[in-house]
Amino acid sequence: MSSAVHAQAPQPGPDATSTADDLLVVRGLTKRFGGLVANRDVDFDVPRRGIISLIGPNGAGKTTFFNQLTGMMPPTGGTITFNGVNLVGLPPHAIVELGIGRTYQNIRLFNDMTVLANVMVGRHARMKSQWYEAIFHLPKVRDEEELTRGRARELLELVGLSRRYEDSLARNLPYGDQRRLELARALASDPLLLLLDEPTAGMNPGETARMTEFIGRLRKELGLSILLIEHDMKVVMGVSDRITVLDYGERIAEGRPEEIRRNPKVIEAYLGKQANA
Amino acid sequence: MNEPTLGRFYLRALGLGALGAVVVIYLALIGMIDRFEARNIINGVLTLGVLAPALGVLIFAYRSTQPPKAWSFVPPAGHVIGAGLLAGGVAGLISAAFLFVNEAVALNAVLVNATPRMTDALTLGAGLPTGAALLVGAGLVVGLGAAALRLVPDRFRRPLVAALVAVLLLSLMEPFLRVVLLQLELPAIAHWLYEAGGLTLQGAIVTFIVVLAVRLAAEFRGNAVRERVDAMPAGQRRSLQIGALVAGLVILVLLPQIIGSFLSEVVGTVGLYVLMGLGLNIVVGYAGLLDLGYVAFFAIGAYATAILTSPVSALGSELAFWVAIPIVMLIAAVSGLIIGAPVLRLRGDYLAIVTLGIGEIVRILLLSDALRPWTGGAQGILQIPPPQLLDIEFFRPQNLYYPILAFAIAGTFVALSLANSRVGRAWNAMREDEDVAAATGINVTNYKLLAFSLGAVFGCIAGAFLAVKLGSIFPHNLNILVSITVLSLIILGGMGSIPGVIVGAFVLVGLPELLREFAEYRLLIYGAVLVMMMLWRPEGLIPSAQRRRELHESEDDEEQWDERVGAGTPPPVVEGT
Amino acid sequence: MRLRLPERLSLVDVILWGLRVGVVVFVVTGSFATLSQGLLGFDSWRSLVIVGLAQGAIYALIALGYTLVYGVLFMINFAHGEVFMAGTFTAFFAATALADAGILNANPFFGLAVILLVSMVTSMIVAVLLERIAYRPLRRAPRLVPLITAIGASLFLQYTVRSIYGSGVRSYPRIDILVGTWDIFGIPIQKTQAVVIVAAVLLMIGLYIFVQRTRTGRAMRAVSEDKDVAAMMGINVDRVIATTFAIGGLLAGAAGILYVFLFNVVSFSMGFLAGIKAFTAAVLGGIGNIVGAMLGGLFLGLLESVGPFLFLSGFGVPSTNQLRDVVAFTLLVLVLIFRPYGILGRKE
Repeated sequence: MSSAVHAQAPQPGPDATSTADDLLVVRGLTKRFGGLVANRDVDFDVPRRGIISLIGPNGAGKTTFFNQLTGMMPPTGGTITFNGVNLVGLPPHAIVELGIGRTYQNIRLFNDMTVLANVMVGRHARMKSQWYEAIFHLPKVRDEEELTRGRARELLELVGLSRRYEDSLARNLPYGDQRRLELARALASDPLLLLLDEPTAGMNPGETARMTEFIGRLRKELGLSILLIEHDMKVVMGVSDRITVLDYGERIAEGRPEEIRRNPKVIEAYLGKQANA
Repeated sequence: MNEPTLGRFYLRALGLGALGAVVVIYLALIGMIDRFEARNIINGVLTLGVLAPALGVLIFAYRSTQPPKAWSFVPPAGHVIGAGLLAGGVAGLISAAFLFVNEAVALNAVLVNATPRMTDALTLGAGLPTGAALLVGAGLVVGLGAAALRLVPDRFRRPLVAALVAVLLLSLMEPFLRVVLLQLELPAIAHWLYEAGGLTLQGAIVTFIVVLAVRLAAEFRGNAVRERVDAMPAGQRRSLQIGALVAGLVILVLLPQIIGSFLSEVVGTVGLYVLMGLGLNIVVGYAGLLDLGYVAFFAIGAYATAILTSPVSALGSELAFWVAIPIVMLIAAVSGLIIGAPVLRLRGDYLAIVTLGIGEIVRILLLSDALRPWTGGAQGILQIPPPQLLDIEFFRPQNLYYPILAFAIAGTFVALSLANSRVGRAWNAMREDEDVAAATGINVTNYKLLAFSLGAVFGCIAGAFLAVKLGSIFPHNLNILVSITVLSLIILGGMGSIPGVIVGAFVLVGLPELLREFAEYRLLIYGAVLVMMMLWRPEGLIPSAQRRRELHESEDDEEQWDERVGAGTPPPVVEGT
Repeated sequence: MRLRLPERLSLVDVILWGLRVGVVVFVVTGSFATLSQGLLGFDSWRSLVIVGLAQGAIYALIALGYTLVYGVLFMINFAHGEVFMAGTFTAFFAATALADAGILNANPFFGLAVILLVSMVTSMIVAVLLERIAYRPLRRAPRLVPLITAIGASLFLQYTVRSIYGSGVRSYPRIDILVGTWDIFGIPIQKTQAVVIVAAVLLMIGLYIFVQRTRTGRAMRAVSEDKDVAAMMGINVDRVIATTFAIGGLLAGAAGILYVFLFNVVSFSMGFLAGIKAFTAAVLGGIGNIVGAMLGGLFLGLLESVGPFLFLSGFGVPSTNQLRDVVAFTLLVLVLIFRPYGILGRKE
């Protein structure tokens, strides 16, 4: 991602077979929009410190799946258990507090806020000062602001955004930097699980490679679990412990990268189609 | 420089000149020119009745002297003058033609202001055949002025415009400044500067020269003061800021003693609107919730105060004002929650309409016989006692000014503190993208309710002061127009900007109180302000730091905005408001 | 599937449910009390319904202007009430001139046609200018910007008319052929009410056919689906939008004359309330939905006419008629809160 991140091959994660202690356990998740079924009976697990990829053709229901995990859409049926807590029915902010952070397929920053403010908003869930305390400028409010500012700067450095951008508006950043900023914002909430929706979309091969390394580093250094939606097979195969394939809202395959690569159903549904396109 | 482009250039000037004429005729038909004749800008030289239409034409003529960027055509000086003259001349010609038509057809039967008085006002009393020539001549002069303004290099033009605006402002401030000067026992200056409701000629000239010189110096040698302040060490700068703050406070505290009863009353009214502006600014400017029913809180505050304190109310508790205020604030917060909760999930424009509906419901209920036992129906509640502190009764406007000032300062402090905190950031994020804000960890529901409730508290305090200021309260002055006034002053000043709220309140509420000529056109001007600000300067006159940055950094956007507005017709407007 | 835990039911949900239950209980007990006390006889029912339908037909015509514009631009043209007012007020001068010349009652059909034409054309011009000057430059601006502009335009138009035409309330001249009642199936109906209902229905049918059958109507529907695609298919989007405003203006102008048949007076401030109520009607029927606007208008008219008495007099509330507007506004608030997609519309 920048000089701050040294090129390091991702370490193979801990063995990623499903255990009772998995960080995220999804069972029978179903989402209908009128007659359309976006997710049908999806089972899904993310082990602790695992990197799991979710792939599938466009319209397979991947982003809908993310939206249900983060509480932005209520599921029609099924359970989502995160760290032992049922997420169904919880509002998005409560899910952030429990430790899920995300980025978006089409970058969604707070465009008219500064870069630093974007990251500080990301930290909102971990801050405690209340409005009545803020009104009176209590020392603890000021201390917390300072701490947050410092933490935000660290994160900007971690994702490789230069300090001199910190007062620019998010909208004025170049595309790649906007992706980094979004990542920094997501990291600011100290998530246990990070959901990345096509983090390398629109990046050139060099940037993509650095992003791939960075994802590995996030697990290694911050101990995060990562759930990834990605179209770039090189990224998916390179970084994931396990891969789940969705097609027409249904899980059609699950396994290690090499298994998925050989799975005829996947080749037909996904890779085959893409080859034909 | 091919001929067609030149032809189009002049054709455009012709069209813009015609639009200038539309402005002049519009101002005449709404009776503004006639009414504004009474207000001197420079005594014996210029009245507002002449200045307003002239400015209208000037804007179009100025515009006509520069073709749109897309034409990639830079007219030489001769053609710039040509276009200006054409636009101004056409404007004068059409206006004159309109007067002839009016004389022939007697439009007065339909248009109440199309009277001989209007003709007199437009022709400066010269009557028709002569006056028509006068109008065309005036148009040409204005057109020439526009061309000259275009031809002057930027670094001269800016100081020139600043100096002209300064003269105008100083003149419009006459009702206020003259009283201040006289009270300060400086009658010599007052008489030297002001005369017959406007500036004296010497006053105008000196003001013009001084401002011009200062601004020119700033253009050529940089802004020395600003630079020196910037160069100061942080501690020193901070003490300078504190010094300025203290000086400002001292002036504010002494103000009512200087300006007397009438102006204190006006400033008190402005103060109420500052309070409401601060409150609505939290709701609209910070949290991005367009609330058109803000008057409901103003009304609730006023009525709650009246019912709690008045000896003739049904409750009969006769509390002292200072005891009532905390109760009113509590009622405000709760009513903010009650009104806020059901509407939270609505999309922006529906929220606006629903809140408008709620505001109207509150007003009609107050007016109805159904609630008469408590609210007195159309007769309202009388005998609201003034606040009392120790032995001082805050009855006279000069006294009531102080509690209003105290609350306004406290309100400013609260609003500023919140804006620069975790809360303010959360509101901003919510305003920009509600879904993402929620998924970033912000409890959107709570923050919306917080904004609503805080806004309600500000509105209710303003209402409480309205009740004690008037001594009685009726539903009639609690209508949708209050909401729109507050919205207008926020938009004029700049959404999210606290200095903007204060300036907006002074301009939109204070000025019409001082200049009776404006009072009649108050709401018309609010409407024009809303439209024009949205079209040309959506960030307001004094944008908040953040909005200024948006503007500063995305110059492309601003250009696009200009492009899109293009040759759009501005609605006619009173200049100098 | 696990049951939703109680703590996941938020405070806002509780308040909303409380509001729902409260409104239903209030309306039901109020109506029951009124009916059981026999406060509302057959004759009053009949006249309230006819008044409501006539009034509602006018709301429906104005509502069409909101719905059409919303259909193509997704903005609330807050100034539409002023479009209605401007035409009606202007036509007043034509009406007095015709009456003074004796034409209005000597040749009533010609006279009425002229008045109608003046009103419709004026409203149309105002609507088109409004779009061109105030809304077109803001088409890509954030959603609240055009709304604020529309509020400003509304104020501006209202007080421009006040300054130009004067601030007084003006009475239209009497139109002799509309005085009196007709017996329709043995029910006496005031001629004005009958004319209003029939004329409004005819206009609405005309509009429906226009939108469904003509080229321009199809272009309007294409633009409301997707402006960019429509533009790519060779539709002049600017012109279609201007046409939409023009049609909304024509209907509002016509509604103005019908309004005058019922109420006789015009003033610069008449547009605000009429506009808000018509907007309520449009939302009630699902904004953007033409048939919905018509039904919404009729429903609102009926409710406003029958509602205050039916719901409130049972509780012994005095002068319920003062609360007509409260009924309308309450309906507006409740519809937007609980069914913002309208009574006919479906969620999403």
